[in-house]
Amino acid sequence: MTDTIIPRGNALPRIRPWLGIAAAASFVVASVMALFWAPTDAVQGDVYRILYVHVPLAWLAYLAFVVVFLASVGWLWTKRPFFDAVAVASAEIGVLFTGLFLVAGSIWAKPTWGVWWTWEPRLVTTAIMFVMYVGYLLLRGLSTDFSRRATRAAVFGIIAVIDVPIVHLSVLWANSLHQLPTVLRAGGSPALDSSMLLTLMVSLGAYTLIYAYFMTARVSLELARQGRLWTT
Amino acid sequence: MALVAVRELRAERRQPDGVVAAVTFIAVLVLLESLVVGPQIARDADVAAALFWLALTFATILATMRSFDRELEDDALEGLVALPGGRDALFGGKVLSLTIVLLLVAVVGGVLSLVLLDLRVALAPHLLVVVLLGVLALPPIVIVDVVLALRLRARAALVPILALPVLVPQLVAATRGTSAALSGDAVGALAWAGLLFAFAVVYTVIGLTIVPAAIE
Repeated sequence: MTDTIIPRGNALPRIRPWLGIAAAASFVVASVMALFWAPTDAVQGDVYRILYVHVPLAWLAYLAFVVVFLASVGWLWTKRPFFDAVAVASAEIGVLFTGLFLVAGSIWAKPTWGVWWTWEPRLVTTAIMFVMYVGYLLLRGLSTDFSRRATRAAVFGIIAVIDVPIVHLSVLWANSLHQLPTVLRAGGSPALDSSMLLTLMVSLGAYTLIYAYFMTARVSLELARQGRLWTT
Repeated sequence: MALVAVRELRAERRQPDGVVAAVTFIAVLVLLESLVVGPQIARDADVAAALFWLALTFATILATMRSFDRELEDDALEGLVALPGGRDALFGGKVLSLTIVLLLVAVVGGVLSLVLLDLRVALAPHLLVVVLLGVLALPPIVIVDVVLALRLRARAALVPILALPVLVPQLVAATRGTSAALSGDAVGALAWAGLLFAFAVVYTVIGLTIVPAAIE
């Protein structure tokens, strides 16, 4: 506690409006491209368009939990409260996006596989990742002392990141219904039509900006909360 | 480390409530298993292996929590941290002693499963290797999670929530390896045993790296 560095003001509120505008604009462009510009899939028809939501959500879930890992290492290394604020913000946003990722996956599974849920590795490992980070938030919620809470959460944030590669590679390790990675494929170019790939890339960019916007808002809130904690 | 392990085993011998709770827990689950799913399904190698490892994992959580409860009741944790080797020795000693306790629990639970469920073991040496390596991979992560939840309310609920998702790869490997050894798949059993060895090493290294930060 004594070696913890007391937080000062931050510059995040200044960039947040610009991020918000960029996120909203790119989201509109990505949605228009996904709904009207990208061609219809020869096998799945229009149902496949949920790909432009599902894949970015998956990417954000991975990104959010890797950021939790990096921020956790940062906290343990420096004891700067900024890193703890980043970790909690990213974990909360990651849980939200993982939940949406599972819901979007279920909506896509029903017309293509005939079921809302099936016990296949990608789905189960994603659900486990979701539960793991709910546990992370629970651990934070049950701890009262700031420094101890941050340290406990950081240690668990480092352990929990193990699940991220497991989720991504689970489709390669086991025979499953889920399709193999479409973009990040080992030794091959993306298995998508060029206009579909461009739409997907724009969607990925838009969702990443949304994540960045949420992060600036939540980190600012957490820093303000920490500031009150230190001054009272 | 050896000092902590010996002290822990002596405490367990004097007051064996952790071992007794873990053994009773695994015995109850083996008995319930055949009642709940029926003897025919319970005898299936996959089902028997899965329930054995789930039971052993919960038994690990019980024994580990009891071990740390004892330290808290006696106000001994600070003293243990102050020993030569500090937090690393505390972690290593706990891992060592809990592994020995768990091997005992696994032997009792395993024999009960084999006898009560009338399981046939096709490859006994392979089964022993899988169980040994599976047990080695359990304590490091459970100890870290128990340390994280130390002195928190709702700790009994929190530890399984934190530990079980992290242990999923280990549970899958141990279950598949046990099932392979029971049904005579030597190559499969050894492959899963190799994976379990890797998990044991990775989990121990992770524990040794971050436990100093976790124990305050």
